[in-house]
Parts: sequence; C-alpha cells; structure tokens
Amino acid sequence: MSYWNRVLGAPHTREAYAAFVRAQDERLGAFLEFDPERRNTADRGTEDGRGAGGHRRGVGLLAGLPVAVKDNIAVAGFRLTCGSRFLEALRCPYTATAVRRLEAAGARVVGKTNLDEFGMGSSTDNSALGVTNNPYDHARVAGGSSGGSAAAVAAGLVPLALGSDTGGSVRQPASFCGVYGFKPTYGAVSRYGLVAFASSLDVVGACARDLDTLEAAFAAMRGLDERDHSSLAPEADTGAGSAVPAGGAEVRAVGVLTGLEGLAPGVQAAYASTIAKLRGRGYELREISLNTLQYVVPAYYTIATAEASANLARYNGVRYGARPEMADNPDELVRTARDEGFGPEVKLRILLGTYVLRSGFQDQYYLRAQRIRTAIRNELNRAFEQVQVILTPTVPVLPFAHGEGELTAFEQKLADQFTATASLAGIPALSVPGEWADGLPVGMQLLAPAFAENRLWALGRELGEAGTPPDYPAFPEWAASAGYRLDLG
Amino acid sequence: MNEDELRVTADLAEIELTDEELASLGAAVEQLVSYFEIMAEADVDGLEPTTHALLRRNRIRADEPAMDPETDADDLLENAPELEDRFIVIPNVL
Repeated sequence: MSYWNRVLGAPHTREAYAAFVRAQDERLGAFLEFDPERRNTADRGTEDGRGAGGHRRGVGLLAGLPVAVKDNIAVAGFRLTCGSRFLEALRCPYTATAVRRLEAAGARVVGKTNLDEFGMGSSTDNSALGVTNNPYDHARVAGGSSGGSAAAVAAGLVPLALGSDTGGSVRQPASFCGVYGFKPTYGAVSRYGLVAFASSLDVVGACARDLDTLEAAFAAMRGLDERDHSSLAPEADTGAGSAVPAGGAEVRAVGVLTGLEGLAPGVQAAYASTIAKLRGRGYELREISLNTLQYVVPAYYTIATAEASANLARYNGVRYGARPEMADNPDELVRTARDEGFGPEVKLRILLGTYVLRSGFQDQYYLRAQRIRTAIRNELNRAFEQVQVILTPTVPVLPFAHGEGELTAFEQKLADQFTATASLAGIPALSVPGEWADGLPVGMQLLAPAFAENRLWALGRELGEAGTPPDYPAFPEWAASAGYRLDLG
Repeated sequence: MNEDELRVTADLAEIELTDEELASLGAAVEQLVSYFEIMAEADVDGLEPTTHALLRRNRIRADEPAMDPETDADDLLENAPELEDRFIVIPNVL
C-alpha cells in the first residue's frame, strides 16, 4: 500500500490529514473547499459508497492519490465557484471528463482550489473568494490563475492538482511556487466540465512535485471525448497525416532564444544556468529567434478576451447564479446581476473582447490576431525541424508582491509572453522547477510539437527538482508534533 | 477610445458601469487597445486565420440527443435561485 493510500485509507488518518491541511491552509489560502471524505463520482448516491461495479480503487501510481481541483473544473458534490461572487453558491451536479478519468484510475478529489475569477489573471488576487499566498513568501503571490493548485502542491498538501491553462495559468503559478506545471497539447484532454474562458485556448493541465505523477495523470486523462468536439486523439487528422511527430521521446537538440529583452536579472541568470547545464550534459544547443514573439501578447489578449466576451454572455442571473432581489425590467435584471457578480478584471476583459469583435473593428483586431496566430504556429513548426524541444523562461519576472505595487495589471499581462506562445500554437509545454533567485523559485519552460509530450518528460527529468518551502512541514512530521499516532509506513 | 465608444461597448456587453468604473476600466481598456495597435506591423499577408490550433476540419456528431445518464435535469434545476414546480421564477419585473 502506498503512502497516500495509507493517508486516505482509514478514518483516523483522514481526520489527521484534514486537520493538517486546514492548519497549513490558514496561512496559504490555497483551498476554497476541502473534504477528504467525499466519495468518487461513480460511487456517489449509494449507501455504502460503492457503485454498481464496486468501489473503484484503481491500480498504479494514481491509486488512492488525493487530488485538488481548480474551482473552475466540475466535480460533483463540491461547489463550482470559478472564484466569482456570481457562482459562489453553485453546487456542481456533474463531474468533468478529466476528473472522472483520474477517478477511474483510483485518484480521489479532496478539494477545490482558489483561482483568479474565471481564470482571468496572473496572481489569484482576482479571486472574489479568498487570498492565496506564495508558500515561499506570504507577501508575494502564488501566481495565477491556478494559484491555489500550485500552492497546494508546493506546500505538500496534495501530491497532484488540476488547473486550467489558457495563456499560462498552470505553468506560471507552477514557476512561482517551485513545482512542475504541465499544459498538454490543445484538445489532448477533454474540456467537458471545464468552465469556458477562451475556448480555442483552454486546456486542463496539472501541477505536481514529480514527473512520474504528472505523466501518469496525463496518461489517465488524455484521449478523445465525445462530449468535447474540440478534443483530439493523437492520430487525429490534422490535415498533414498523423499529428504525432517522428523521433519519439529522444531529445538531441534544444532551441534557445537569443536577444531576449526585459528579463528580470534572476530569470536571466536562471536561463543561462539551465543552458549551461544542458550543454554540460551533451545536448546540442541551437540559437533560434522567434520574430513573432513581439506579437504574442497582443494576439493572445485579443483572441482570449473576444472568446471570453462570448462565453461569459451566459451569466445573466436568470437560471442560476447570484441576482438582484428586484429589477424594474428584464434588462436591468441582467445588468445588475452582471454588475454585482463580476469583478473588475472580468469586466475589463468582457469590455475589451466586445470591443475587438464590434463590427468595423473585427478585421483590425480579431481576424488579424488569428492570422498572427497562424504566423506563430508556422514559425514554431519551422523551429521544430531543427530542434526537438525549445527552452524559454516560463515567466520573465520573479514572483511579485500582492497588489500592483511591484507589477501593474498591464505588466502582469506582458509577462504572459512565453507561456501564451505555446497556448496560441496549441502545443504542449512544461514548466520545470529547480532554479532559484533571491530565495524564490524560477521555472524554465520546455516546448514541444503537438502530441510530443514524451519529449517534455524526457528533458524535464534531466533538469527539474521541486523545492520544499521551509515553513511548511510534511504531513507525517506535522502529525507527530500534533500528537497523532499514525502508521504511514 | 472615447467615453461614448466605451458606453456603446458596455451596453453591448450588458455591463453596467458606474462613473468610477467608466474612468478606471476605460483607462485600462484604452491602454490595451493602444497596445494592440502593434499587430498592424505584423506581416500576415496570405495567412489563413487559425481558429482551432490543430484540427483542420469541423467535426460533427449524429443529430441525436446526447444524454448523460448520471446528470439529472432536476439536479441542474436545483441551482436555480427560485423554483415553482419545474419552472424557474425570476424577480418581479414591470
């Protein structure tokens, strides 16, 4: 029986585990909801917690593993708040495909994590429902929008946490918190049950402290889902035969970017140190330049906000969600519900997205951004003829202080440059921990062609090492000091 | 973007803006829209727009109801703010 199996396996260890997580989370603020007693989706509604096929325990690495899920991904029995006042009271009646597949492999969802409202932000400060701190420095942000998931994994509260990644929302907080953060190929994991932000960019990703766990989670979650028509099997017809590139997992040549401007000194040093490490291990390093890089952030924010303005039109306060007690007319009902329900960043993005889609402006903004997206994909495809993986910093800045004192909201958006590149191209990416600056983690991002996730695991194993925040004890030590007598093997 | 443009946009988006929000969000929208102007310099002649990063053709399914046996319509209705039988009640509007 594995360590985590023992933790979740008996009532008295679960009780101690719940006390441990609650005690740590008072300082961290990672969870919006935590309940290790929840039954898996297939086992719910039956008296003894066993579904028709018996209790699904699963085998392998994920069996009995506690998983935290970002609170914009549906899990029956928990809420589904999206970090928004609008959905604060929503009880979720169904479970996302990605989560069901993890459950079928034996994983158990123990809680829902904090996020920037609807996934919009880089700090988790845009959550209407709580503050998440960086486990290495509570005055700093955990990153975002999957800040709760990354912080929970970094602090050792869970070994695996799901997030969603639209322009870097898993990789950026993973970088800030010193853990692995993985964004799969667009469509490789079903989006059924992920609350839509920008549908052509959204993916379900995950954070973990080790790659074995991430790889097992991806293997369990991936694959075509008839409930998500943008989901893809690796053998899907993408117009050029099989999408899986030749050459398998082998990585010989790594592309590095030249002429990068605006990197924080600590990030610059970490990038140089990683390049030196790879060179020392015999990898061939090739300098590449991406001329489209300067257009990534404007194209990303044009497309993401345009899609968001359409996706968030559904929140009108009529069928579910918060709404006013009184309204003079139906328009006022909808407007008041949206005014009171949405925070300023969400309003900003809806306004921006509505503007770029307005008649007369579409060609100038949205259509142009989609063409730039094609140019970015083409440029990356050419680069991948020379190298198997491209290395960039995950984020050009270090974890910043809460609020806008160190980094304004606009500057936070500019910092999406490297992560949004992979999002626009639909390719897989991994933020790898292991570098440090001023006592704070610095992640390095690996990019691979579509469906070549195996290259990310291969190179990630060479480079990465998750950190351990000094103020966060491991569960067994905490349990012993708190007087619990547990046999955790 | 002038104030009138912003009001028209907010109206289309069904967003109510207070004068304070008009100033703060207006400035933020303006900053981003100006920043987007850099896209005009990109050479995208002859490039098709990307809508799905990988899929080249639309996928359709058979025109049959796709029922999820484990999601009950009544469970969904339970999230409505107010119900009368199986009807959703909205606030009195005049």
